[in-house]
Amino acid sequence: MLSKKEQRKEQIMQSALELFSVKGFYNTTIPDIANALKMSVGNMYNYFKSKDILAKEIIKYISIYLGHKLKEINELDISTEEKTRKIIEVYFETAMKKPEMIDYFLRIYLSTREVFKDGCEGMICVNEFVTEIMIYFEEGVKCGDLRDQDFFSAFGLFMGYLGGMVFLRGENILPKELDDYVDDISYNVYKALSV
Amino acid sequence: MIELIEKIEGEAKLDFSFEDGKIDFVDIEFMTARNIENILKGKSPLDALVINPRVCGICGHAHLIATVEALEDCYENIEISKKAKIIRELTLTFELIQNHFKWFYLVMRPLFGEKQEVLKATYPTQLMAKAIAVFGGQYPHTSYAIVGGVVCDVTEMDIIKVKHYIEEAIKFFELNVVQADTKDFLVCDNVDKVLKKSGDLPDILKEIKKKKYLHHGKSYDRFIAFGENSYFSKGKSHKTITTHNISMDHVKEYSNPNSLAKNVLYKDKYYEVGPLARAMINKVPLVKDAHRRYGDNIFSRIIARVCEIPQLLNHSKELLEQLDLSEPSYIEPSIDITKINGSGESAVEAARGSLIHKVDIENGVIKNYEIITPTQWNLGNGTKKKLGVSQKAMIGLEDVQTAELVFKTFDVCSVCTTH
Amino acid sequence: MRVLWLSSIACNGNTHSFLNYPYMEQFLNDFEFIYHPVIDSNYSLKEIVTETIACDILLIEGSISDEFKRADVPVVDIITKYAKIVKKIVTVGTCATFGGIFRESDYKDTTGLHFVKEVKIDKFKDLLNKTISLSGCPVHPEVLVNTLYAIKKSVDLQLDNFLRPKDYFAYTVHNGCTRNEYFEYKVDNHKFGELEGCMFYDHGCQAPFTHGSCNKILWNEVNSKTRAGLPCMGCTEPTFPKSNLFGTKKNMGIPQDLPLGVGKRTYLTLAGITKAFTIDRLEKKLFDD
Repeated sequence: MLSKKEQRKEQIMQSALELFSVKGFYNTTIPDIANALKMSVGNMYNYFKSKDILAKEIIKYISIYLGHKLKEINELDISTEEKTRKIIEVYFETAMKKPEMIDYFLRIYLSTREVFKDGCEGMICVNEFVTEIMIYFEEGVKCGDLRDQDFFSAFGLFMGYLGGMVFLRGENILPKELDDYVDDISYNVYKALSV
Repeated sequence: MIELIEKIEGEAKLDFSFEDGKIDFVDIEFMTARNIENILKGKSPLDALVINPRVCGICGHAHLIATVEALEDCYENIEISKKAKIIRELTLTFELIQNHFKWFYLVMRPLFGEKQEVLKATYPTQLMAKAIAVFGGQYPHTSYAIVGGVVCDVTEMDIIKVKHYIEEAIKFFELNVVQADTKDFLVCDNVDKVLKKSGDLPDILKEIKKKKYLHHGKSYDRFIAFGENSYFSKGKSHKTITTHNISMDHVKEYSNPNSLAKNVLYKDKYYEVGPLARAMINKVPLVKDAHRRYGDNIFSRIIARVCEIPQLLNHSKELLEQLDLSEPSYIEPSIDITKINGSGESAVEAARGSLIHKVDIENGVIKNYEIITPTQWNLGNGTKKKLGVSQKAMIGLEDVQTAELVFKTFDVCSVCTTH
Repeated sequence: MRVLWLSSIACNGNTHSFLNYPYMEQFLNDFEFIYHPVIDSNYSLKEIVTETIACDILLIEGSISDEFKRADVPVVDIITKYAKIVKKIVTVGTCATFGGIFRESDYKDTTGLHFVKEVKIDKFKDLLNKTISLSGCPVHPEVLVNTLYAIKKSVDLQLDNFLRPKDYFAYTVHNGCTRNEYFEYKVDNHKFGELEGCMFYDHGCQAPFTHGSCNKILWNEVNSKTRAGLPCMGCTEPTFPKSNLFGTKKNMGIPQDLPLGVGKRTYLTLAGITKAFTIDRLEKKLFDD
């Protein structure tokens, strides 16, 4: 069970995520977030000392959220092909149910690097997520399913593809919902990465 | 009469035939073979740098250097810095020195009735092992020489350290082996002068004269050396004629029905390799003097081997001076060895003589590997009509003990001979 | 104490490594070799194999095969004979312990005394409680000599699953390497021929998952392979020699073999964090201003 304070922090992050996706990161202020939660601004600062700190906590929160889901998949005794599909399912499901999360990752974390350069160096703030992707790759190669290659050439293919689809959805360009693409995308990704 | 010769990095069986109280034939059998060449097949070429030193615990470093040079010979073009070449030569030289000390104190002196003085062998050899370890990390069994150079870098402090080991070994030599200033000993060209000195070497040499052993151990008086470096030159020598124009193409190995060691010949002839051969080709004054007086007998063989100690110690000091620390120790080859198809060969002077390695790489793995060790040259098991070098050296002797002495002046190594 | 040094299928590397023990005089005063490959002894090999000479410790160097003979006697018979009378048996080196390099020799069914690689074999199972394994190619002279002294003192040595004394084999070769900082902070640009850098990432260094004290007690009292810049080849382990020894086996850029006891998730998380930072001192040459 999360402590009361932790629960409250999660609420704040969730609310901030929603506001960021509607109003944009720069246009959203701490008072806006406090307001949305009917909290005093002063109380808000008890949880997050600044918007930059909140921003970093949010990306860690998303990474932990996704990392945890991927860890469950990695620990299943299933083939790499099945794992590939499940990871894609989880990613798309999150994009559909919590679009603000993936949105934040793609639009804010990746494109507002000045906010994250201190304290989110490299991939520190998305470590949980990236670690699980690494394990998925490493085990896939080890059992002979995936082709051995540079980590980033595989990571880029995987994340670029999924991110691109979520981006298209966000732009309302996709004619069908994301889960309609799971079959084809899983097939394509596995085909591209397997031996 | 079969005699088991022990403590030669394993054993050998010598089967003596006598006629009229004299040895008229000796069949030499080495009983164990691990077939390292087979172990190498199918392996990644660089793995040979780890496997091959394990051919032999006493001269494994020579196998490392021969391996790296054979692998580098597979390239059409490969750049090795002068610094790396010098470092390789230094460590190989240190191995030769430790080997000679061990042979002299553990093998030779006891054969002259002296109690084996283990500490006289271990003290200087440990200094040489330390000197190798400064560059290679450890001794025995480092693989620090790799395709493209050496893995280590060295600082002035390392050089100071190594120089002290060398100086200490020289001091040991001057106190024990030949009690004389090494500088004088190195330019000495008169055996009589050495005999007048004290020390463990003159003691043995005097003993040889006293026991009238001066005719013992004569063989073909035919020498060959293939390894070349800043000290040794390649060539062959027969009696007094020396030529440097030789080619490994004329070296042929023949299996041996009675022994697991293969015989090796140059243009169908047996040649002696080792310190005496090197000294004859290099025209080392003191050894030439011994040879002029007594021929290729045990006296010359012993003095040649021990003489190499101060020569090499002195030479390694000069090599240290030549090291340019600003040069790279390693230059990454432009092509990875696993992308190479080709063949390479090398020859280095190991303690006991020329060591030859040949390798074929196909599609990035070792297709074939061939090792010809110095002891195969000297201890070849020929026939009555065509005797091997050490066989010929034992003919005519009257007893097995003296034959064993003659045999061991070649510094026998069972593990190398059969590998 | 009386010691028999018995060589089986070997290169004599352990014999010569032993000769590097710095306090040899003391050792030779305290122990007597009834046979040693290069040190003179009161008995010949012929006597050793045909008679049963009183002995306290049997040292075995080299891999073992039924086919292999010393002085015309199968080495397994010599072992069986002396194993009965000695207090302890010590397998000296990786060949005698796990089969090692010469497991691949031409002799039939070549093994270590109790193990062939990691697998325990039954041939000498009665001797298990008498045996101490000292792996390493070669064995470190101090590891050998001090173990013999411990036997002499009847010290109850703690042994690992392969019967190796924990005093030396509880450590990893990585402990004490002068290149540790490059490993800790994941500075992975090692090049051969330099004082800087860690060989774990690209050049096959097995030190973080190899049991041994090389970097704790050093070789020849001065150095170690990894300090010199040579990857650890894992020579104390049952798997020695693996293949492609100068390259790190990686799957999608992630090392397959990780530091001993460190889970993949833990390793990757820590690596991810340290890799995010640039440490100027470790990026530069050691001797740069």
